[in-house]
Amino acid sequence: MIDIIGLRKSFGELEVLSGLNLSVNKSEIFSVLGKSGTGKSVTLKCIVGLLIPDSGDIVVDSFRVDVNDRTTLAQVRRKIGFLFQSGALYDSMSVRDNLVFNLTRQRSVDESEANEKAEYYLTHVGLKEAIDKMPSELSGGMRKRAALARALVIEPHILLYDEPTTGLDPITSAEISELIKEIHRKFDITAIVVTHDILCAGIVSDRAGVLQDGILKYTGTLNDLMKIEDEEVAGFFRSPLQSK
Amino acid sequence: MKRFFVQVHEISVFSLRFFKELFIPPYEVGEFAGHLENFGLRSLPLVSVIGLLMGLILSLQTKPTFTRFGAESFLPAMVAISVVRELGPVITALVVAGRVSSGIGAEIGSMKVTEQVDALEVSSVDPYRFLVVPRVLAGIIALPLLTAYADLLAVVGAFATMYTLGGMSWELFMTSTVTSLSIADIVPGIGKTFFFGFVISIVGSYFGFKAEGGTASVGKAATSAVVFSSFMILITDFVLVKVGILIFE
Repeated sequence: MIDIIGLRKSFGELEVLSGLNLSVNKSEIFSVLGKSGTGKSVTLKCIVGLLIPDSGDIVVDSFRVDVNDRTTLAQVRRKIGFLFQSGALYDSMSVRDNLVFNLTRQRSVDESEANEKAEYYLTHVGLKEAIDKMPSELSGGMRKRAALARALVIEPHILLYDEPTTGLDPITSAEISELIKEIHRKFDITAIVVTHDILCAGIVSDRAGVLQDGILKYTGTLNDLMKIEDEEVAGFFRSPLQSK
Repeated sequence: MKRFFVQVHEISVFSLRFFKELFIPPYEVGEFAGHLENFGLRSLPLVSVIGLLMGLILSLQTKPTFTRFGAESFLPAMVAISVVRELGPVITALVVAGRVSSGIGAEIGSMKVTEQVDALEVSSVDPYRFLVVPRVLAGIIALPLLTAYADLLAVVGAFATMYTLGGMSWELFMTSTVTSLSIADIVPGIGKTFFFGFVISIVGSYFGFKAEGGTASVGKAATSAVVFSSFMILITDFVLVKVGILIFE
């Protein structure tokens, strides 16, 4: 479903991705783990064409991602929902309009159908009561839910999550992680979840990989990764409480 | 200095893109209407005060000199010509730049740092077409109207001074004003505000798009937008005055 081959990306002198390979199967949830600054978000942004890789190939559902080919890129983007780290809800629009706008810009649907779908997906993420609120009136957890509904409303084949639980308390984090898992079960969506939240990865992942030195150094189930004897990887899995 | 010229080059490239994107659908009519309201209607109170004060101060300042030379009857003509040709367009543009250009810089800048611009892109919405084109178009249309309105209020302000201090009648004032103005004053005066409106919106949008990182860059975008657009308004004015002289005189 998603194939990344030899992805390289540098910012000035700093090489963030140095030949990353990744293959995610249909209906699979793959978590990319790693410390801050290892290139997790960069990988997602390359997949969706927000960043231009220096080299390498990205193939999504048999379409090659090429930012110079706007038609193909638009086709790829129609298949992908993206949950941004900050939610990235448009603050000038209500929650409803955020969803309707996203849907009507990507699919030929009329206003009433778009409204119905917006209500359906907001109900699904448990946010129907906030449909006419502005993003500034929502809590952190509600923003994530609204952003998730906005990503879902286009009925994507693939969902990319950029740190879905960042900035949330542990209880809300767990709720969002459960919601992600439930959504994937129900709508059969392939996903890549970029996170440094082990609890979240534990709940949602079918498989995971550790991004280190610009490549996915280790991949496997979370249990496999926890057994790896690399000090950096082991340190990543050690919870702050355990390490004390 | 090098940074300044780099920015001028980048703004030029950014500006040229407007003429390409303007004709590509979808046309953001709703966005355009919203920005026209923000640029035009919401600037009205500020422009009203500035316009009126411009006429009041200009006539107050120059009246003693004109009286000394026995040329008081030329005062309405002097005010009308200087307001319509130069002061009205430039002062209105500078004041509106302070309000609107900074607002555009801050708004787009904050959308940029909170990934809303990326979200637009992912939704297959061209951020330039959605955020910049309607704002620039609103600027091009609203500023000439605001300037004409400010010019009118400045003339009213000047009449208020002359009526209060010299008892000049409305008929005499208007006759002197209208006969002194020619098409060569009005066309270049209003004509250059189309360019100023363009400059205000495009510079604000450019600095908004340049914002990255945290909220500090949003403040910087707003400040840079005002400083640079004010500067560009004066440079553009200088060029257009020269062009106006070549064409009309």
